[in-house]
Amino acid sequence: MSASSIGATDQLATPPIGPKPLVAEVGGGRLGDIWRAISRNRKAVAGLLLLLVFVVVSIFPGQIAPDDPTAQTYPPALGPSWHHLLGTTSLRQDIFSQLIFGTRLSLVIALAVGAIATVLAVLIGVSAAYLGGIADGILSLVTDVILVLPIFPLIIVITAYRKNSGLFMLIIVLGVLGWSYGARQLRSQALSLRTREFLESARVRGERRLYVILFEILPTMTSLIVATFLGSALYAVLAAAGLQFIGLGDPNSQSWGTMLYWAQSNEALFAGMPWWALAPGICLALLGAAFALLNYAFDEISSPALRVRKLERSRIPGRLPSPADTTPAVAPDRSVLKVEGLSVAYATDAGPVVAVDNVDLDVGRGEFLAIVGESGCGKSTLLYAIARLLGAPLPGEIIGGRVLFQGQDLVLLEERELRRVRWRDLSVVMQSAMNALNPVLTVAEQMRDACRAHSKMSKAEIEERSREVLRLVSIDPVHLHSYPHQLSGGMRQRAMIAMALLFTPDLVIMDEPTSALDVVAQRSLMVQIKELQERLGFAVIFVTHDMSLVSHFSDRLLVMYAGQVAELSSTRELFDRPRHPYSQGLLEAFPSIRGPKVRLLGIPGSPPDLAHPPAGCRFAPRCAHVQPRCTEGEVPLSTVNGSVVRCVLAEEGH
Amino acid sequence: MRFVLRRLGFFLVTLWAAITANFVIPRLMPGNPALAMMSRYRGHINPQALHALEIAFGVKTHQSLLSAYFTYLGNVFRGHLGISLTFFPDPVLHDVLQALPWTLALIGSTTILAFVLGTLIGLVGAWRRGGILDSVLPPIFVITSAFPYFWLAMLSIWLFSLKLGWLPQSGGYDIIDTPAWSWHFIHDAVVHSILPALTILVTSIGGWILTMRNNAISVLTEDYVRMARAKGLSPWRVMWTYAGRNAILPNLTGFAMSLGFVVSGAILVEFVFNYPGVGWMFLQSVENQDYALMQGLFLIIVLAVLTAILAADAATALLDPRTRDVR
Ligand code: SF4
Repeated sequence: MSASSIGATDQLATPPIGPKPLVAEVGGGRLGDIWRAISRNRKAVAGLLLLLVFVVVSIFPGQIAPDDPTAQTYPPALGPSWHHLLGTTSLRQDIFSQLIFGTRLSLVIALAVGAIATVLAVLIGVSAAYLGGIADGILSLVTDVILVLPIFPLIIVITAYRKNSGLFMLIIVLGVLGWSYGARQLRSQALSLRTREFLESARVRGERRLYVILFEILPTMTSLIVATFLGSALYAVLAAAGLQFIGLGDPNSQSWGTMLYWAQSNEALFAGMPWWALAPGICLALLGAAFALLNYAFDEISSPALRVRKLERSRIPGRLPSPADTTPAVAPDRSVLKVEGLSVAYATDAGPVVAVDNVDLDVGRGEFLAIVGESGCGKSTLLYAIARLLGAPLPGEIIGGRVLFQGQDLVLLEERELRRVRWRDLSVVMQSAMNALNPVLTVAEQMRDACRAHSKMSKAEIEERSREVLRLVSIDPVHLHSYPHQLSGGMRQRAMIAMALLFTPDLVIMDEPTSALDVVAQRSLMVQIKELQERLGFAVIFVTHDMSLVSHFSDRLLVMYAGQVAELSSTRELFDRPRHPYSQGLLEAFPSIRGPKVRLLGIPGSPPDLAHPPAGCRFAPRCAHVQPRCTEGEVPLSTVNGSVVRCVLAEEGH
Repeated sequence: MRFVLRRLGFFLVTLWAAITANFVIPRLMPGNPALAMMSRYRGHINPQALHALEIAFGVKTHQSLLSAYFTYLGNVFRGHLGISLTFFPDPVLHDVLQALPWTLALIGSTTILAFVLGTLIGLVGAWRRGGILDSVLPPIFVITSAFPYFWLAMLSIWLFSLKLGWLPQSGGYDIIDTPAWSWHFIHDAVVHSILPALTILVTSIGGWILTMRNNAISVLTEDYVRMARAKGLSPWRVMWTYAGRNAILPNLTGFAMSLGFVVSGAILVEFVFNYPGVGWMFLQSVENQDYALMQGLFLIIVLAVLTAILAADAATALLDPRTRDVR
């Protein structure tokens, strides 16, 4: 394929491909980014425009309204006409003019209450999170109490003692009682931020706490703060209108709620003046909708998972032949899995990104194949593409290639047909059992539903088989009826492996199944996996970023870089004679330090942005041996002594 | 169990806060507004009841604030909420208990219905990403949930009862009827409750749909849902026991927080429909400056909301084993 770059704009960040980076940065983002996101979101634009109209109307009511809203000089109860667009009231006022003049008060209440509630929410939420201890306890208790107290009846009680007490009082009461929801959310976000690295470093630099809060914390919470403002403004619009409607506002004020109060007490709907009651309600609903739409849009912006993106296949450069026009799907006997030309792309705002590019591999019966690479190299995406499990949180679509398993091409199977293969013949073990086991079902229940889906085993048989597989991974079967959170980390991980072995499948796909454990537990689990594999004869594809972990266990190693195969050879050969400069870099990195957080010391720089991969060899920007011909065109895979390598130097036995 | 007990403790604190608010608020108002009310009682009720009211509203008692407060707390806990002016000489408690069944039947059942329906629609919408339930409905519900309840109530009376004449426009039953457990009366009450119930349903369901949809979308990205797919379970089972059951947990918490909002709206709906429930009576008492009745009704509203929240908590504990094991 050609690796020519797509667009001209440069993106600094690498696109999220690994399992973790896609977790939404709730509330993250600075003002500039937020503004850009707003202008792209249709609901946000609609909300903003609506709000803008109301703001303009509320600033220039005199210029827009044809009449004086207080003048009681017109014939009563007129229907709509040119002279009186919405008719007149039975009190001889012009409805349209009243409506225009009423805008200001509703808007002022919304904005003022929103501001007061937001300031209080930030003050209380953030200080609760930062003070911690007893102060946090008390502030949180107060927040929760106000949260569950029905606020509107309470406001009615307060205003009932002082009817017509005026605008100021109304705003204060609404604002003082409306902050709790925001405070609660801000507190929990501030708590989660407290441990973030950049704040730690700010603390280490010795910056003052107030400074840290004002300039480091608040900006990252912008979208949550805006959401708090919008939420409380919406609440204020509705609550104030409700109070005015039941006569607890100032009956002489110009507002939509007051209009509704008069309309109701004069039975406007029954006396043929429908617009008197309809129009203010429509305005209230529109103003409320403006805030609600903005709020909803902000939700979408701050958690990208809520948006659906479509993959535009036409924008993927130089696509490969479709699966149909290659040779028929027959896998050779000795291999369980054969992957040919598999490519995966996913959609981003900037267009499609090819995360797995034309990967070929095969796995023999009972073989242990390890796939190694830095996070973001596409190894997890490849793994889940093989298992046909792409989709959130690992977005992506297979855009070409075949996955031959048991004589059929998994890529072409419908979900229903896939279900027959799943778990019986092909099972999956994930990175963290904490996340991969359903927290609300016991281990037994989760084993049972797998058994039920694929066999006619009786209840007793299922129980017996579940105990058996637990014993296989040396877990005492007494834990069978525990919930995942009641097990230790290592035990959970083993339980997940046990579950994968319920039907002794031909192939078990493992996505860093040990990375959640400490080094010692990691080793012993690896030994156990290898033992089980040899005993039961299943094949394993094992994805890891830690080459040292698999060195003693894997038969072959596949090194991935930037979505492509860099090198594939036997583990022995690769450790003894790494041919790709990237493999060499990985090897130099590992023997010194072990453990999950190894810095790849041997390789300076970072992987390329897959939205704009470099022309020619993708490793070229970081390669110590780079030559002019490396960047001239696509570097093909070449076979040297049974190893497959993507490097121009490979054949020279470098 | 411990979880529910802890929540129970929290609700006692909240209830205490509400009672204390009742006691404090009239005392904070300049020129005690309850004074005018008290003069309307004088000579009509016995001195003991009058004294209790004086304590409740801080009208010329010679007791210290603290001892007045404790006397007041004692009265409230014994159900001595005073005498209603609006329905003189009924004790407040009597009136409150009379209004409560109407509200529980109307608002209670519609809220549960809205919650269940909204949760289901939200889950299915999230499950079928990009389908109609997911793309067209959410923006519509965003807008309907911003409608003022009372306005929608006025509108539905105008449309369904005035223009179309399908349903009665106000009240909980026909005035010619007397409340009884007869088939005729129940039918009558149901017919009267359709419009207010629909109003509450339409305005409140959007919120449940949206929160459930958002929860479900984030739960669908969880590893355990992918694991369920990997296990080859039927989509039905993945949707209910893996995605649905986990997504509903935060929705139950959301239920607790949004309930106050729904109740506020429902009060106004009862007012517009002249529906003989707690909300309508509450606003009647406000109008008549019948502060004793108003306070009693406020407490019962708080109590009802807290009970509903406690029920939601119990449901959470039932569905989520982690809450059962907390400490
Ligand atoms: S092709 Fe060139 S740039 Fe790429 S790895 Fe080989 S030597 Fe380095």
